[in-house]
Amino acid sequence: MTFEERFDWRLFFIMLALFTISCVAIYSAIQTNQYSDNYVLRQIMWYILGSFIIAGMMMIEPIQYKGLSWYVYGAGMLVLLALVVAPASIAPVINGQKSWFLLPGIGSIQPSEFMKIFTILVLSRVIVNHNKENQFKTTKTDFVLLMKIMGVTFAPIMLIMQQPDFGTALVYLGIMSGLIIVAGVTWKLILPIYGLIGAVGGTVFYLVIQAPDVLRKYLGIQEYQFGRIYAWLEPYKYQSGEGYHLIKSLQAIGSGMLTGKGFGGGEVYIPESHTDFIFSVIGEEFGFVGACLVILVFFLLIYHLIQLAIRANYSYSAYVCVGVVSMITFHVFQNIGMTVQLLPITGIPLPFISYGGSSLLANLMAIGLAFAVHYHQREFMFGDNNLQD
Amino acid sequence: MGKNKKKKSHLPLRMNILFFVIFLLFASLILQLGVVQILYGEDAQEEINRTENTTIHTPVPRGKMFDRYGRVIVDNEPLYSITYTPPKGVQPMDRLALAEDLAEFISMGDEEELKKIVRERDLKEYFYLLNEEEVRERVSQEETEDLSGGEEYQLMLDRITEEEIDSIPFEKYQLIAIKKELDQASALAPHIIKNEDITIEEYASVAEHLNQLPGINVTSDWNRKYPYEGTFRNYIGSITNAEQGIPRANQDYYLSLDYSRNDRVGKSGLEEKYESILRGSKEKIRYETDKRNNIVNTEVVREGSRGDDLVLSIDIELQQQVDEIVKKRLKEEIARQPYKNRFLEDAMVVMMDPNTGEVLAVSGMYYNRDRESGEPEVVDHSYKAIQAQHLPGSTVKGATVLMALQEGVMKPGETIYDRTLRIKGTKDKSSYRNLGPVSDVTALQKSSNVYMFLAGIRIGGDTYIPNEPLGFKSGTYEKFLYYFNQFGLGVSTGIDMPSEAVGVVGQNPGPGTQIDLLIGQYNSYTTMQLAQYVSTIANDGYRVRPHLVKEIREPSNDTEQLGPVRENINTTVLNRIEMDQEYIDRVKLGFQYVFQKQGGTAYGSYNDVDYSPAGKTGTAENIVVEEGINGEKELIDTENLTMVGYAPHDNPEVAFSVVVPNVGKGVSSSINKDITKDILDAYFELKKERSEKGIEDVNENLNEEEAEVSDNYEE
Repeated sequence: MTFEERFDWRLFFIMLALFTISCVAIYSAIQTNQYSDNYVLRQIMWYILGSFIIAGMMMIEPIQYKGLSWYVYGAGMLVLLALVVAPASIAPVINGQKSWFLLPGIGSIQPSEFMKIFTILVLSRVIVNHNKENQFKTTKTDFVLLMKIMGVTFAPIMLIMQQPDFGTALVYLGIMSGLIIVAGVTWKLILPIYGLIGAVGGTVFYLVIQAPDVLRKYLGIQEYQFGRIYAWLEPYKYQSGEGYHLIKSLQAIGSGMLTGKGFGGGEVYIPESHTDFIFSVIGEEFGFVGACLVILVFFLLIYHLIQLAIRANYSYSAYVCVGVVSMITFHVFQNIGMTVQLLPITGIPLPFISYGGSSLLANLMAIGLAFAVHYHQREFMFGDNNLQD
Repeated sequence: MGKNKKKKSHLPLRMNILFFVIFLLFASLILQLGVVQILYGEDAQEEINRTENTTIHTPVPRGKMFDRYGRVIVDNEPLYSITYTPPKGVQPMDRLALAEDLAEFISMGDEEELKKIVRERDLKEYFYLLNEEEVRERVSQEETEDLSGGEEYQLMLDRITEEEIDSIPFEKYQLIAIKKELDQASALAPHIIKNEDITIEEYASVAEHLNQLPGINVTSDWNRKYPYEGTFRNYIGSITNAEQGIPRANQDYYLSLDYSRNDRVGKSGLEEKYESILRGSKEKIRYETDKRNNIVNTEVVREGSRGDDLVLSIDIELQQQVDEIVKKRLKEEIARQPYKNRFLEDAMVVMMDPNTGEVLAVSGMYYNRDRESGEPEVVDHSYKAIQAQHLPGSTVKGATVLMALQEGVMKPGETIYDRTLRIKGTKDKSSYRNLGPVSDVTALQKSSNVYMFLAGIRIGGDTYIPNEPLGFKSGTYEKFLYYFNQFGLGVSTGIDMPSEAVGVVGQNPGPGTQIDLLIGQYNSYTTMQLAQYVSTIANDGYRVRPHLVKEIREPSNDTEQLGPVRENINTTVLNRIEMDQEYIDRVKLGFQYVFQKQGGTAYGSYNDVDYSPAGKTGTAENIVVEEGINGEKELIDTENLTMVGYAPHDNPEVAFSVVVPNVGKGVSSSINKDITKDILDAYFELKKERSEKGIEDVNENLNEEEAEVSDNYEE
């Protein structure tokens, strides 16, 4: 097959659309910003760098990723561990989080972003191998699989909570949840576990709102630790900090109304609007129509990746795709959700659109995996599961 | 391939389930977007329009305080500042232009100060701004390739030569110094450009030209100033500073009254008590700003007004003299007998108008023995006059005699024989010496304890039989307290201060101790309570509320003139004692004899004065615990020397109480009498001077009104 046939053109055009949206949105955001740096140019640079990485990653076959997975995962764990013990000179505490390595000449990198990719690679391998070894599934074997998946996921989460970076840790849970569903674990296990998590979460949430005394008394948790939840529910009462961010975001998006104020027409000043709150800028300037369009592009991306997974004839590739889908979904849902008061505020960027080096590169690497899956899908035209284009 | 088949069996289904979940999540996002943008979009836009209208509360000065003759005791001293609040995205050239404009109105210092403020780097930055193109060319592309923006800028500054800096004329230093301050401001946060040594002219000219000076604002704040320095400060109290703001404990209370968190409020004394009057109402201005934060419209929502002024009842001149007298007498007494007087450290005085309750002076001096860090020898502790409680001694006998007469256990003129009483179970009880026959009047004159004891025993329903124990009917002690309370002894005086002590009242003692109360040897009272007690007798039985504030006046623009009276603090009669006028007259006669008749305990010193004092002396035995070097404890007898009274006896215009606790026993001190003589002399001397020369520094208007007010009260 020719390169043209093997290359995933649809994915390419979806990424091109996201790239364009990103540049436009960041350009708008920095108009009302206190920074003088030109983040659009820098974002373009990151995209170019990312393209090279994707090109390189595309050449590697999925089976090779599978073989490498434990090594990169191990290396990633070591880096995360190093971050915990590193001195402030190379791992400074920024905004109360010790999440970045300061590399002279390169800038700052956030290892936990890249670790997401490595975790996806290992989780996929664990699932494939487990299913291969246990052809006759029982509840017991499924339970063992569940334990393995959790083990692989919670190891980096523990280290990330040391930073502490609650938002990124949640992303790992998102990836894990997606993979558990498709790993073939019986519903007899999934439903009670998800139900239990839901019930515990719901109870804590109820206590936070209705009876914080109980939490303080029995769990030793102070009220301020739920600040972001209070700020989410009653932003006008907690106007300093997160409440302020939410109010500004709601004002910006809300006032965009149906069609927006037009490119460059933003009036509301939102701190950090070029990173985590980029969607507020889109919502304000391009309105409901523009915001839905962006969500639609993400949906197309996810639809495409799911199709890729379903058509993959190598099960490892399918799981990797699902991992990527789970990660992107979680990011998109959490980020957009927090700007419209659907979810509490956490520091998670909007993938491919928010400005940010590590996060963008890691997400592009995830897309690189998808390109590789497509590129090495040699027999997909003849596969027994071929859904006709 | 077989393995793949197995995988395929669950994968597509599960993936479709996952995809369906994702679809639901995205659908909820769009739904919520619809709610935010379409349902509530209009509201959000309105909110933006609204919040861009900022309402600013400008603080107004607090009300001042004056003494009873209109002399300023607490004043305000304005503090001006000029601030800069940069809008977003302001460029260095904008700031330079602003600095040029500002330099027309304000000065950052004289020649020498400017040379200190303006550093080489400031000059280089200024030069760079003016010659940006040229300086840029001095740095080549290759050199800047690896440099960050900041490093590149530094490199370009380095290329500016000494000669170029020197070419900047000195006239420009003013604006460079201003620009330096402007550069330090961060977006949307006010930065103080100048706040010390701002002249009124600078302030006014900047204020006038605010519309030409984007981001510049002028604010004014006030500091309290005390022309009489420490005098009466214990009662004036203090206010919080802007950092402390409103007290955290009562935050909600203050916020509900439209205070801001950094507002300064009274935290003690009159400043706290009269906070609502002194605070004034803040000026409320609404600024309408466009989205670049430029002010497009200002509207005064509410004119502010300074807080109302307080005219105190205090005579500051008398206050100063009384402070001096107490200080001098305390120091002298301690110097006279330093060892025996080693527990003597306080002396307190209250002087008030017995008819109106207006407090004229209140003093309390503390002798500071522990002076390591160069603290003064005598410190103003006048708060103790309402906070410290001491055994009053015989001064309360007026109340006892009135009770006895009212209860009918003693008849006016009835004589008892003063001798040592021997009661089983208690120590022998006697007067300071056996006084022989005494009546109600002479019992006061000579300070008979035995008369008081016998009266108490009769009220208790018992009869004195030597060497027998006492047995009182129930409710006797309560009856004693009830009568004493009518004079304010053991209850709040109602003085207009945030807090006062109400005396120490013992619980249910035995009869032998109960009658000690009647000679002031059991319950303790404050100096203010004693002053209220004696005033009650002086004005024929009306217990009036002592107060420090006489009038509330509207602020006046004229600094020389007091504003119109908003409210007169009238005399408040708390209660009328139950005793008949005839009995009160007997006690007043007794009080008069104390000072004016041979054998009176305060007789002798007042032959040469014409103000005809009356009152009662007191000596209470007070035991102090002394701790030895090795921690062993020893009980030492000391005496509280006290005095209450008023003058003139037939038409009292001033009442007083003096309390000097813990004078050494056996030092034959007369400090209570000495202080009394001195303060009465001072009062009547001042009165005489004023009738001849008028009051210094006194506002004419006030004088007349003052006279009128006094007349009203005479009735």
